[in-house]
Amino acid sequence: MSKVSLKVLTDEDVRRIHEASMKLLEEVGIEVEYEPAVRILQEAGLKADGRRVFFDPAYVQKKVAEAPHDFTLYARDPRHNVHIGGDDVAFVPGYGAPFMIEAGGTRRLATWDDYLNLLKMAHACEEMDLSGGMLVEPNDLDDHTRYLDVLYAHIRYSTKVLMGSSYGASGARDTVELLAPVFGGKEMLQEKPVVISLINTISPLKLDARQTGALMEYARWKQAVVIAALVMAGSTGPATLAGVLAVQNAEVLAGITLAQTVNPGTPVVYGSASSITDMRTGCVSIANAESALLNAATAQLARFYGVPCRAGGGLTDSKAVDGQAGYESCLMLMSPIASGVNFILHTAGILQYWLCMSYEKFVMDAEIAGMLRRYKRSIDVNDNSLALDVIKHVGPGGHFLTQMHTKQNHKTEMRKPMLSDRQSFEGWAKDRLTTEARATVLWKKLLDSYQDPGLDERLQKQLQTYVESRKKEIVK
Amino acid sequence: MILDELKAAVMDGDAEQVAVLCRKVLDEHLNPVEAVEQGLIKGIEEIGRLWTEGEMFLPDVMMGADALKVGLEILGAELSKAKAAAGDTDRRGRIVIGTVKGDIHDIGKNIVSAMMTAAGFDVFDIGYDQGVDVFVDKAEQVGAQIIAASALLTTTMDEQKELVEYLKSKGLRSKYKVIIGGGPTTQGWADGVGADGWAETANEAVALCHKLLD
Repeated sequence: MSKVSLKVLTDEDVRRIHEASMKLLEEVGIEVEYEPAVRILQEAGLKADGRRVFFDPAYVQKKVAEAPHDFTLYARDPRHNVHIGGDDVAFVPGYGAPFMIEAGGTRRLATWDDYLNLLKMAHACEEMDLSGGMLVEPNDLDDHTRYLDVLYAHIRYSTKVLMGSSYGASGARDTVELLAPVFGGKEMLQEKPVVISLINTISPLKLDARQTGALMEYARWKQAVVIAALVMAGSTGPATLAGVLAVQNAEVLAGITLAQTVNPGTPVVYGSASSITDMRTGCVSIANAESALLNAATAQLARFYGVPCRAGGGLTDSKAVDGQAGYESCLMLMSPIASGVNFILHTAGILQYWLCMSYEKFVMDAEIAGMLRRYKRSIDVNDNSLALDVIKHVGPGGHFLTQMHTKQNHKTEMRKPMLSDRQSFEGWAKDRLTTEARATVLWKKLLDSYQDPGLDERLQKQLQTYVESRKKEIVK
Repeated sequence: MILDELKAAVMDGDAEQVAVLCRKVLDEHLNPVEAVEQGLIKGIEEIGRLWTEGEMFLPDVMMGADALKVGLEILGAELSKAKAAAGDTDRRGRIVIGTVKGDIHDIGKNIVSAMMTAAGFDVFDIGYDQGVDVFVDKAEQVGAQIIAASALLTTTMDEQKELVEYLKSKGLRSKYKVIIGGGPTTQGWADGVGADGWAETANEAVALCHKLLD
């Protein structure tokens, strides 16, 4: 257990939320809008009335216990393998935004060029552990087939683990078909998860056809899934946070139960994007004290069930890379890291509640993530770090700048910032660059630093042929 | 007295109390026009005012709008009779609103619907996952002036364009003002698909309707 361990619920609270969710699963049930899922759950002995499936608590607990406590995602380059679970935290870029906000605040539709830039930045950025999924919606590509371009690009331009398509069973199948030849065939995939995909529930208490189809397909291939609920307190869930957690927990456990029913041992991550509703306008608000509490509570619930956890992110409701964006994103990254969340989707780039990405915000969030990864490492206390010898040697009134101990330890002990300004006032006042202006310089530098990891040409051809043939089938 | 009670019941979002009071209006042969204009509508107007001032919240607006609808349904027949007798016709703007086919996200649409009701429009909400034909059939049936279509997904936005095309194909385009909205939509998108208007928030949508019907 990490030394940094924030708790916002007592064990008794967790038990009561668990019991409330079990009641919901058993008495209200979950509306499952995907016939094959209803069928397999019925065959497993669960009662269903039409599409409403009633989950027996004993069955849910048995199946959830079959999910692995932790697992490794295998990357094309083994140096980028990622361990999901335990005390580790994986940072993943923003996901799914249709808009870009440029420096200065102009909002426009995201394009394929933006996509490739963000992909290269995600690959080059040390703080990002995965290359991510739908980094932005490339609006200039056909919306029915763009997921194929996206999958190919991730395999082609990055050797980090990617996130798969949740565009129904067929999107999942295409993801597996494209990854199989890269990792030595489908049989190999069964041994090693090489992709993780985002499966969202529909709150309250529903699983839709598209996401559930993808969930089942990935489970068949034993590929990892994040099953995430987005309950909005006050609109898609009760106004009270305990009730939000009860609804979220029921939805996520239903998803995990389904995955383990399809294929026991499928790696799953307990996910939450739960947040609140602005009660005056109905707008979602994703960065606030309440959402930060929900993140931490989610980590406790996931631990209770013995599965890894996803929550939080560099989240903000702000529309610009400004003070609000900074303080909200820091809170929404700090809370999950301090509470032991393992997978942080939307770590970098998000503005305006998941609707927008920003290059400047990407590097600002990467800076926050870097600071917090250091924070999570906590304080080592041992003979070397207590440094008694060197303190004695320097004695009262001296300084440590010229001690070998300092020279040997400072680089690992203190993280060097990449964006924060620590100059004197005079130094800063020469250019008076704001965070946003410095971030513009930094993201361009990051993009420039991208090095193409390459991909075997025969493999490239093979994957391109698959993408083209699938496009023809889909557009037909 | 009953007028104050009607106003208060709408402001409390108490649909049951509104129903009790409206039945009393009918049973005791009180003036239905007065009950609506001096009672129910006063309540919803007050909610609108307090919402603007930040003193009331969405649940107040939405429950108030629901309570108002219950009252209007009960008094509807008598109201029309009384108005016809007085040679007065209902001049409130009529709006058909819904979420497009393939899209089940209706919270935003419900909020806009409630705000339009609170602003005094006659709103016909056809729900979510509705084809363009359902929008147009409803508009034809109720004699609407505005059709409002919501989409939250980039994959369902095309239905908004489809709505405009469908109206054109039926020769009905000039008969209706088409307005669109939803998370991924923009003014540029609205212009591109040939809609008459776009709004980002519920109160902007209400302002847009006022402008279009001016």
